[in-house]
Amino acid sequence: MPNAGSSFLAAVWAILRKECRSEWRTRYGLNAAVLFAVTSLTGVSFAVGRLTDRSDVLAALLWVVLLFAALASLSHAFVREVEGRTLTLLRLVASPTEIALGKLLFNLVFLTVLEAVTVPLFLILMGAPGPRWGAFLALLASGSFALATSATLVGALISQTRGRGALFAGVSLPLLLPVLAAAVAGTRNQWAGGSAAVEVRMLMAYAAATLGASLLLYDHLWED
Amino acid sequence: MSALRETSVGVVGTEAVRVTARALAHRYGPQRGLEPLSFEVVAPAVVAVTGPNGVGKSTLLKIVAGLLEPSRGEATLAVGGRSVLAAERRRCVGYAGPELSFYPELGVAENLTFAAMTRGLPAPAVRVRESLDRVGLSRHGTERVAALSSGMMQRLRIAFALLHRPPLLLLDEPGNHLDDEGRVALRAIVAEEGRAGLVLLATNDEREWRLAERRIELSGRGLGHSA
Repeated sequence: MPNAGSSFLAAVWAILRKECRSEWRTRYGLNAAVLFAVTSLTGVSFAVGRLTDRSDVLAALLWVVLLFAALASLSHAFVREVEGRTLTLLRLVASPTEIALGKLLFNLVFLTVLEAVTVPLFLILMGAPGPRWGAFLALLASGSFALATSATLVGALISQTRGRGALFAGVSLPLLLPVLAAAVAGTRNQWAGGSAAVEVRMLMAYAAATLGASLLLYDHLWED
Repeated sequence: MSALRETSVGVVGTEAVRVTARALAHRYGPQRGLEPLSFEVVAPAVVAVTGPNGVGKSTLLKIVAGLLEPSRGEATLAVGGRSVLAAERRRCVGYAGPELSFYPELGVAENLTFAAMTRGLPAPAVRVRESLDRVGLSRHGTERVAALSSGMMQRLRIAFALLHRPPLLLLDEPGNHLDDEGRVALRAIVAEEGRAGLVLLATNDEREWRLAERRIELSGRGLGHSA
């Protein structure tokens, strides 16, 4: 028999692989998210032109586009299991914590792919000054981690409720405001030549706290 | 008669698989799902759970599988003399029920491989092939689940339940949608698993409950328990 640790990791890895394969075949979330990001950036670019000297607006615009492009799709990691009636299968093969961590890793992969498409497009269309790459990537990584942990937790909590779409937005947005504020402030600072270290630490602390709370909650998620 | 069998929890004496219900009951909100019930069944055996619609046959199987927390009482599972907590039952229980669905964008074998890998089974491809063979689906391994007929889907549910060679097999209406060939395969599986372990069948189909040597009959006004 495999030991508990390797069995746990095997389950998380298998769920991540399954999520990636399902998303690749259906493009359920990625197409919608990329389409939103591209159309909104193109629309803003046509309307206001290049914003090279407005680092405050650039920072806010970048994170608003990323947040809203990602948000609808991130909730679907769990909602899809309920609507496709595959949650029973998942519960029969993995613990709630394994399921949630697999989904969290998938959400991180999803955000990474979304950012890989959106951020270069943003930098080009908006005429953003070249970022300080170390700080900028640290902000993207910590912001994505915070966004993914919150969205995964909320997605799991609301997955079996009625009106989950409205609930997800209603519950997520207040929870994500601190993430948005810290990410925008840090991004603006690095463009203005300042440090983003405080914001990166805040985002990591927020993500760690959310992940910690999630790990305590996940095992009680689907107790009827 | 005692037998040894390799299962998902190692090699166990089959007499060591024991399901016990004590004053077990369940409610769905204000509605009764399962009237108070007590019984004990020990491997090797095939036990049928019968009774009218809505009396709680599926509810009972879900509780034993650890998918549902009972409102009252308890259902315990012991394997090899060790009690298995509800949260850990998925390792010892093979469950096939009507609400079990698969990922339509994945193939038949891909769905089972995902289940085998998530369970951490050794040689997942071998386990998948073995399970598909047993239900007569080996020629359909590459087909997308979305393209399966109802009967094929039912066979896939049974293959899923057998995948990790569980000591306890819970089959809810297993003959649903099966053709004659499927029913022959089901009979063979139930007989084989019942010789080696414990099989609980929830059914009202006489062809299925006749496969069992014991019967637990549920009724809306209390429960009869007949040997």
